[in-house]
Amino acid sequence: MKKGLVLFLIAVMALSTALLTGCGGGPKQESKDGGAAKGNKLVIYTSMKESLISGIVEGFKKKNPGIEVDYQSAGAGKLMAKIAAERQSGHILADVIWTSEVPDFYMMKKEGILEVYKPSNLKEILNPFDDYDGSFTAARLGTLGIAVNTDKIKEFPTAWEDLATKPEYNKAFGIADPALSGTSYMSVALLEHQFGWDYFNRLAANGTRIGKGSGQVVDDTSSGELSACLAVDYITNNKIAKGAHLQMVYPKELIMVPSPVAIFKGSKNLDAAKKFVDYLLSQEAQQKVADAGTVPVRTDVKQNPKHNLPKPEDAMKNGIKVVYTEILPQKEATIQKFTEIIKK
Amino acid sequence: MSQVKTKSSFGVAQLILFLSIAVLVVVVAFPVLLILFNAFWVEDHFNFDGAIMILQQPATYQALKNSLIIAAMSTIGSTIVGTFFAWLVTRTDLPHKKFMKAMFLVPFMLPSFIGAMAWKMLLSPNAGFINQFFMQHLGFTGPVFNIYSYLGISLVEVMYLFPFVFIQVCGALERMDPTLEESARISGAGLFTITRKITIPLVLPSILSGALLIMLYSMAHFGTVAVLGIENGIYNIPTLIYERIHQSGGSFDAIRTGTVLATVLVISAALIIWAQRKILGSGHYQIIGGKSFRPMELKLRGLRMPMMIFCFLYIGFTILLPTVVIFLVGSLKTYGLSFSPENLSLDNFKFILFEYAVTRDAIVNSVTLGFTAAIITMFAGVMISYVIVKMKVRGKGILEFLGMLPFSVPGSVIALGVILAWSGQFGVNFYNTVWIILLAYIARYMAFSLKANSAALEQVHDSLVEASRACGATMWQSLKDIVLPLVKPGMLAAFFLIFLPSLRELTVSIMLYAPTTRTIGVAIYTLNEDGETVISAALAAIALIIIVIGQFIINHFSKKAGV
Repeated sequence: MKKGLVLFLIAVMALSTALLTGCGGGPKQESKDGGAAKGNKLVIYTSMKESLISGIVEGFKKKNPGIEVDYQSAGAGKLMAKIAAERQSGHILADVIWTSEVPDFYMMKKEGILEVYKPSNLKEILNPFDDYDGSFTAARLGTLGIAVNTDKIKEFPTAWEDLATKPEYNKAFGIADPALSGTSYMSVALLEHQFGWDYFNRLAANGTRIGKGSGQVVDDTSSGELSACLAVDYITNNKIAKGAHLQMVYPKELIMVPSPVAIFKGSKNLDAAKKFVDYLLSQEAQQKVADAGTVPVRTDVKQNPKHNLPKPEDAMKNGIKVVYTEILPQKEATIQKFTEIIKK
Repeated sequence: MSQVKTKSSFGVAQLILFLSIAVLVVVVAFPVLLILFNAFWVEDHFNFDGAIMILQQPATYQALKNSLIIAAMSTIGSTIVGTFFAWLVTRTDLPHKKFMKAMFLVPFMLPSFIGAMAWKMLLSPNAGFINQFFMQHLGFTGPVFNIYSYLGISLVEVMYLFPFVFIQVCGALERMDPTLEESARISGAGLFTITRKITIPLVLPSILSGALLIMLYSMAHFGTVAVLGIENGIYNIPTLIYERIHQSGGSFDAIRTGTVLATVLVISAALIIWAQRKILGSGHYQIIGGKSFRPMELKLRGLRMPMMIFCFLYIGFTILLPTVVIFLVGSLKTYGLSFSPENLSLDNFKFILFEYAVTRDAIVNSVTLGFTAAIITMFAGVMISYVIVKMKVRGKGILEFLGMLPFSVPGSVIALGVILAWSGQFGVNFYNTVWIILLAYIARYMAFSLKANSAALEQVHDSLVEASRACGATMWQSLKDIVLPLVKPGMLAAFFLIFLPSLRELTVSIMLYAPTTRTIGVAIYTLNEDGETVISAALAAIALIIIVIGQFIINHFSKKAGV
């Protein structure tokens, strides 16, 4: 029993010292704990899924054995929330950000937190941004189409309108939550730009459902909970490769969402960050991008025909055009309006 | 002689009081104050209208209403289920009681959001395995049950929350002095009268305190509603906060919206507690007499076998079935394939344990965090409860008020609070380290520790300490020789109540995680949200194994220690 009391006292003392001298103890612990993260470890925030980002990071590490890399793969909304909180605390932990939510990049550029860097191989790549200034560079031309469950849908949809009218999609078409997924938000903005809000009213009338992340709607389609969903190319292709009963279908109006990569101002690993951006745009990395089942920004890489993807130059040409700076201030309103329409 | 003693005990009392207040202020009060401050203080001036505007939005109303509806349904359901099973295993001659009791504690170990994932797989309207079975083989035209509903969410919460009541009521029924019931019986009272007049009033505080925990937990619970509600537009406050913060690309506006919503959560929680306190009134019974005894058992007679079958069915349906589904889905190559041998493999498990850094780190992080938080919170809790329950010192009022805080501050609020408090504005930057999660865990689980410890302390009759003091023991002596041994079960309970839940904690860590500090819960949830259903199910399966092993080790260890 004496042991119990001694333990009790030690814990109380330890706790109170730890808490009360937080100011003194804090930095010490940080240097011990966060040293690895802050030293020369390149930190990448990305919304690309494991199947895409891990291969690229591996390739980069192989090319640059001296550089340690850590990456956080999460939805664009989550990453931006994390960055906002980190800015509040005065230090952005990430060196590089690579997501698909283009408006975020314009916002960050306006706020002056992005490092201007024109990659060395800039001339070799396709650039979807007319007002390019080196703040961010497209590293992938992501496409979104309709993923259908081949057990449930025999006649594939040919137009976006099919989803709003055909009975087989009643309560069985899903769109990822645009608050969580950058690609989903961009798709909603593009579809709204092309067809107006009325299209979403018609979708709602046909029972369209809001899912969670951009990957989960695909899994729900694969399981048959949904018959079809608005789906990101490489996520769907990855699951098809594993045997999922899915097929990717592209209507005429192509949703193409570029995924920009940018470096944060004040990055402690600026050289490594630049090297990473260069590598990401290199032929080797872009081949990995194409192999993962999405559209690269280079024309000199091989695309696997089984993915049924548009060529990079076609994705540039056929994508729904929109002035990004115009949709930027409406982001929150767009998401809220979409959620209100679909939820009711 | 007596003078010296009084003086020294007064010093000790002041020290303990000071420490207790310090712990609560630093860990809980300060972050919460910052939330309230940020909710109403915008750009250097007081802004009440802004906060009201946020609350006037229909979505906010709806979320608050949903939180209350789901919490009410879950609480009522869990209280009935928990009390019934507790009575069954402690007071009847149900066969295999020991085994049943152990099994009823299992859901407490299981994370409810993993359960929600399993039930989504089983009962989602079109693809749920049970619904599919009924539609394909039994000629049903629609789903038997839609899990994406208030009822679905509440039922899943009941399955995983009822042990809160079960543990408390079992404890009370086991500790209750049977002489009270015996004397009633000798005086001619029937079983029904005894139950109504003696047993129920005696265990009522335990039932209510368990129900209180469930209500607060459920109202601010993120996982189940996030997994099952969002698809159907059912948001509660935590999921709305989570969504709002992610909706706006993380501008500070969203964090502010979060603080306003969090304020609503704090206020409604405080109201519930106030109401509960009113109802409870003077519901404190000192029923540990320091003697050991065996309570009488009710003969179930003809109901014995049916009750046993019912219990086994319940266990099979709510514990075994979801677990099996998680393991099976975790073995699939990709979600949506059938469970035929060619689609099943151990590749996902191999990937998680040996190849995927994210999941490996998550496992290590959760175990370390859980253990540290449990130890610290257990000791801090016993100290604080002792002051609140037993000590008579000046300034105790402040502590009583502060002691209420952990109960009324839900996890999502704590998460926002620690972000505001410990990310650099006040000289301490724990952001993106494990320390911020640890602080949040301590704040979050302090309520459990206070509850368990003060329940244990309340049942230690003052006469025991008084007797020891009368015999000349010092304050410290009577603490360590009388009080601590008696509350040791309470402390141990506090440890369990903290360590195991924190292994699969989600609500707090989802808001606080950084690249190197993902916890198991975060990894499972984000993988699931990202559509890596099979990987997340496999990780969930591994988490279940770790949790069960952890429980076995703890049980073994505590048996050895003779507790």
